[in-house]
Amino acid sequence: MKQYFVKRLLWMIPILIGISFFAFILINLSPSDPAEVAIRVNEITPTAENVAQMREQLGLDDPFLTRYATWLGNALQGDFGHSYVNNKPVAQEIAKALPPTLYLAGVSLMIIVVVSVGVGVLCAVKEDSLTDKALRGIVFVGTAIPGFWAGILLMWLFAVKLKWLPTSGMTAPGAVILPAVTLALGYISTYVRLIRNTMIQNKRENYVLYGRVRGLSEKTITRHVFKNSLQTSLTALGMSIPKLIAGTVVIENIFAWPGIGRLCVTAIFNRDFPMIQAYVLIMAVLFVFCNLLVDMGSVWIDPRRREA
Amino acid sequence: MKLKKGLAVVMTAVLCAGMFAGCSGASAKSDVSTKEALNYACTKDIRDINPHLYSGEMSAQNMVFEGLTKNEGGEVKPALAESWEISADGLEYTFHLREGVTFTDGAPFNAAAVKLNMDAILGNAERHSWLDMVNEIKENVVVDEHTFKLVLKHPYYPTLVELGLTRPFRFISPNCFVNGTTKEGVSGYIGTGPWVLSEHVDNQYATFTQNETYWGDKTKIKTINWKVMPDSQTILLALQNGEVDLLFGADGDQVDLDSYKKLEDEGAYKTYISEPVASRAILINSNSPITKDIKVREAIEYAVNKENIIQGILNNSEDQADTLLSKDVPYCDIDFKTIAYNQEKAQQLLDEAGWKPGSDGVREKDGQKCEIILSYNSKNAQEGTIATSIQADLAAVGIKMNILGEEKQAFLDRQKTGDFDLQYSLSWGTPYDPQSYVSSWRIPAHGDYQAQVGLEKKQWLDETITKIMIESDDSKRADMYKEVLTYINDQYVYVPISYSKTKAVGIKGLEGVSFNDSQYEIPFEKMYFSN
Repeated sequence: MKQYFVKRLLWMIPILIGISFFAFILINLSPSDPAEVAIRVNEITPTAENVAQMREQLGLDDPFLTRYATWLGNALQGDFGHSYVNNKPVAQEIAKALPPTLYLAGVSLMIIVVVSVGVGVLCAVKEDSLTDKALRGIVFVGTAIPGFWAGILLMWLFAVKLKWLPTSGMTAPGAVILPAVTLALGYISTYVRLIRNTMIQNKRENYVLYGRVRGLSEKTITRHVFKNSLQTSLTALGMSIPKLIAGTVVIENIFAWPGIGRLCVTAIFNRDFPMIQAYVLIMAVLFVFCNLLVDMGSVWIDPRRREA
Repeated sequence: MKLKKGLAVVMTAVLCAGMFAGCSGASAKSDVSTKEALNYACTKDIRDINPHLYSGEMSAQNMVFEGLTKNEGGEVKPALAESWEISADGLEYTFHLREGVTFTDGAPFNAAAVKLNMDAILGNAERHSWLDMVNEIKENVVVDEHTFKLVLKHPYYPTLVELGLTRPFRFISPNCFVNGTTKEGVSGYIGTGPWVLSEHVDNQYATFTQNETYWGDKTKIKTINWKVMPDSQTILLALQNGEVDLLFGADGDQVDLDSYKKLEDEGAYKTYISEPVASRAILINSNSPITKDIKVREAIEYAVNKENIIQGILNNSEDQADTLLSKDVPYCDIDFKTIAYNQEKAQQLLDEAGWKPGSDGVREKDGQKCEIILSYNSKNAQEGTIATSIQADLAAVGIKMNILGEEKQAFLDRQKTGDFDLQYSLSWGTPYDPQSYVSSWRIPAHGDYQAQVGLEKKQWLDETITKIMIESDDSKRADMYKEVLTYINDQYVYVPISYSKTKAVGIKGLEGVSFNDSQYEIPFEKMYFSN
């Protein structure tokens, strides 16, 4: 296990270097001159002189690899430079926007787990019944509705019509519910289907037959089937965590949630390169780490995978 | 399994608790006359409202900071300066400052504070290059405690108007300066205005409270809650839910036209629309391969059906424009040649220019198709819709117009390099028109400059504009404006579309909603609740 862990950790180094390189190269792929962008976002009219001055200030005249090495060195120390727009440290801006996103993603994950497990197990137990079909139908429709539309519909129903919840923002009590539900909608059907299908598959396994022969109750059998079906879902769920965090962009805009998604969209519109690079890098690192954690978790559950 | 079951129950309970808490948080309809706070929704955060920089929301800057003068009802009126005298040569402005005024941190507002602020603005002249005024200031002089003298290099005529603009000539407490200046940021946002910024949470909200020591009439409402809601649909739902009392914005910024019409028709809210403030026009690039021909530009003017745009897209909420600047704008009451929609005339002009109808309906000349691009900032949906109407108009006369909606920065890149055939041009409205708008035509980074570069007399145009700004004789100035605007009109560089208006929607019971001269300001201080 330890050896496996060390091997995986070592593998992460080239992956992370590759990612950081791509995040950095973005600046060079863009048709806009970063120096000009930095001037323009502050409502200054670009001239040859101020662009040259800004290029020097941002170190854009240095060779590409020198700039990359400097940026990476600073990034490793948590310094992602300063935003072109408000000149504040990027790390500080991200640190401020990350907690609301983590909170939103966390509540969303709770909803996904509760609903998916509940509906998934029910569907598997009542396989092919009307309840199974109806529940799956509802969940699939919910997933098929685009997030921005679902958000507006939920807001209209629960805020404007029923007056149960506030429309948006983060300050009012219960404000997290609507964005979290909207965010969860897109994932629920995946897990319902995953849990249902794995459980149905497991139900056909020999150990279930053996359990029945032994005279175990249906409740006990379902419990064993559920336990054995969890692994696939846990792996998928693990990978959904970074996806949830990175996927809040639209939801945060609709629900006026001051998170990292909104920060990223604003940065993209303003071509705030230091902010975009930091966002891409942090999200990529998050994906890589979650992937590692999920793998470690599944190896811990099933030692046979270590050899694989 | 038991553990998991328990966890699920706990999670559900937490969610339900949140929902019930939400019930109590929802607003209830009550007598609005007792309301002490106005909730205003804006798609943008107030950001850094340093009055000497440009990254903050102008309407928020206007709440906290004041200038020596203010522009009201088309006139320059006293603000922090009670009166002033102008020397006979137009080079010296002596301002008598209002006595007894203090910044909200207790610092006195006096000539020394004015000089400190003015020097800080001059110390960052590059940032204010769009405003000629900054380059025209020679010296800031403290005459005595309450007298300040501004010495100019030339008799710059819009001095008093530009001193009243929302930025940069507004005054911040000397205690907020960092290292004796404001260009690298300020340590607080302390002004002399009717409002005090008492709380600001980035990207969430800002709270402005009444300045209890204000020198003028105190605000009638105690608190303004500035709520940040990036999505305009959310703003509308929040209005319906009673979380928001006022929407206010120019050019579809907060309220898009369809929603405005819907709210107006429903009658549940009060809607307000300003007098025409700014000009909306289409720029035709005189330096582009196809549109460099004046006949093609003239043909495009004849081909665009403005009535369709005004009625069909703008729902008659804006006035049709036949000249670039409205006749109400100073120096613009000129009898220009105007062009009325006439497809036949457009076709005739294209024929004369050598563009003959092709087999697919698109005109051709020397094997080249008559195909042009209109680029716009894709964030402005209304501009996209107008573009499709123009596209259909031009197709009817054999010009294929491709529409290119781009992100703001890409759009600006294209504008700066002149890589476009058609683009939108919006003037800044009163009190910036005509001087600041016309003045910006000389700046290469502006679309106007790029579109005019192909004109034979561009150099003369720029030189005359420079002279206008420092011409002390009003009638000579008027003549020069006439020459410049007539030349531009006759060169068909602009297709005037409409004169835009600012719109506002408020709840019933919110009174005193009006418009300042500048479309970028919101006169919250005049608003009050009543039944």
